Amino acid sequence: MLEVIYALWRRDMIKFLRDRRQLITSLTRPLLWLLAFGFGLRASVRLPSGGPDFVSFLVPGLAAMTVLFASMFAAISIVWEREFGFLKELLVAPVPRGAIVAAKILAGSSTAMIETAMTLLLAPLFGARYSPLGALAALPVLLVFGMGVNALGIIVAARMRSFEGFGSIVNFVIQPVFFLSGALYPVAGLPHLLHGLVLANPMSYAVDAVRGLCLGHRNFPLALSVGVVVGSSVVLAALASRAFRRMEA
Amino acid sequence: MTAAAIEVQDLRKSYDAVEAVRGVGFSVAAGEIFGFLGPNGAGKTTTIKILCTLLQPTSGTARLAGLDVTTSPSEVRRRIGVIFQDPALDDRLTAEENLTLHAVAYRVPRVDRQARIDEALRFVDLFDRRKDLTRTFSGGMKRRLEIARGLVHRPEILFLDEPTTGLDPQTRARTWEVLRDLRQKYGTTLFLTTHYMDEAENCDRIAIVDHGRIVALDTPAALKRAVGKDLVSARTADPAGLSRLLQEKYGVASTPSEGGLSFMVEGGDAFIVKLLTTDRPALEGISVRRPTLDDVFLSLTGRQIRAEGAESNLARVRAMVRRR
Repeated sequence: MLEVIYALWRRDMIKFLRDRRQLITSLTRPLLWLLAFGFGLRASVRLPSGGPDFVSFLVPGLAAMTVLFASMFAAISIVWEREFGFLKELLVAPVPRGAIVAAKILAGSSTAMIETAMTLLLAPLFGARYSPLGALAALPVLLVFGMGVNALGIIVAARMRSFEGFGSIVNFVIQPVFFLSGALYPVAGLPHLLHGLVLANPMSYAVDAVRGLCLGHRNFPLALSVGVVVGSSVVLAALASRAFRRMEA
Repeated sequence: MTAAAIEVQDLRKSYDAVEAVRGVGFSVAAGEIFGFLGPNGAGKTTTIKILCTLLQPTSGTARLAGLDVTTSPSEVRRRIGVIFQDPALDDRLTAEENLTLHAVAYRVPRVDRQARIDEALRFVDLFDRRKDLTRTFSGGMKRRLEIARGLVHRPEILFLDEPTTGLDPQTRARTWEVLRDLRQKYGTTLFLTTHYMDEAENCDRIAIVDHGRIVALDTPAALKRAVGKDLVSARTADPAGLSRLLQEKYGVASTPSEGGLSFMVEGGDAFIVKLLTTDRPALEGISVRRPTLDDVFLSLTGRQIRAEGAESNLARVRAMVRRR
């Protein structure tokens, strides 16, 4: 069982590393986002004085955002493999459906970790200052967050027959999750309704935990944030497994 | 040859209002090559998907090596191999990586893996290409690699859905050589679907299916014998006159064909001699042909099997991707 999960995870990793273009894109995308958001927004966002500078404030948000996008779109491989037939080979194999989903979730979040690690490595070049040990401690949080996101992607993918369909639903889901997470700006000053939505968004807790670990600047207790991230990922993984089981090849 | 490899009773499958499989029953002996022959949409693929546990039947039972497909799917999966209509290879992996993954998934003991993979690759003549990405393979090579993959875990029963659709005649012949060797060497039971008559000739027994039902089940030779009639084609400048003669004097209905007409009669050779010695419109040529499975299908259903809509799902997706 574990060997099958490992073999399937390894398959996705081999393909990711073998695809030069995908690899280069995922290594350069964090750089672009740092440039665009770091310098583009710096002038217009006012942070409370005494706290971190804007670029440092932004980096944990970008790290979480990188995971959100990369991990979510990694789930498109399910649509791809179903359309091109490979999924059928897995579905008739004596492998529990749960093992296939587990391997997918692990692979999708692993590739996202490569990207987010790039973000954290490159950020100091743009003047960001944060605790390297804190960033290291934030990686497991980001990984678990990525697993939840990928599970959500699988839930969407299991119902989609086309790449376009997957893309449009995912964008519809990703944007509110991203913009209402506090990744780009402090959420303290938001109107009540929006603030409520931020509190209901699991990504807010992932961002806050990472920011807390990197900068020591947080809104929620770390235990609460980690609890929300782990809890929501577990629930999403269970739902993904159910959606996958119900899917017809 | 004691227990039946496949035992199916009154199998049905409905999708919403459509009944794709309407009460199918048959049994396949171990080591037999058994074919499902019928036009597209006859319910062949639905049946094969139920047998290999990908679809739940609406009612009825199917047992493979004595195991029920709905109640013990994972036991069944371990004993079968499936080769789908469209290639189901991971085309960004090498040939060998595809087989290794398969060996792990089917829990081939670690010590046997490499030997089995090498043997399977040699069996289909792809050993030299084992380190190449499968996306660089031709259609025939992909099909052979899938057969090799189907062998790695030594299944008792191998399912093949339209195994040679889209392949050129030479590759088709080669694929069949491999399949016959397979039965010979490992005693594997083969269950296949096809809409090609000549492919069905390779089977020990054939079930002819139409509209979700089996309309006939026997050996190819027996099915052809059952038609009993030979097909006669006559070329003539006066098909109307000849048709009238056949109808009035012999009670034989004919259909117009290119340059003349054709009709079916018992004892075609003797009938030709009779026809030549009567007063009749001038003939430019005449030929007699033993019935083919095509004629069997025609006589059972009143229609011909045509490869209509044979464009595979994969071709459709490829076309879609190209358009983008």
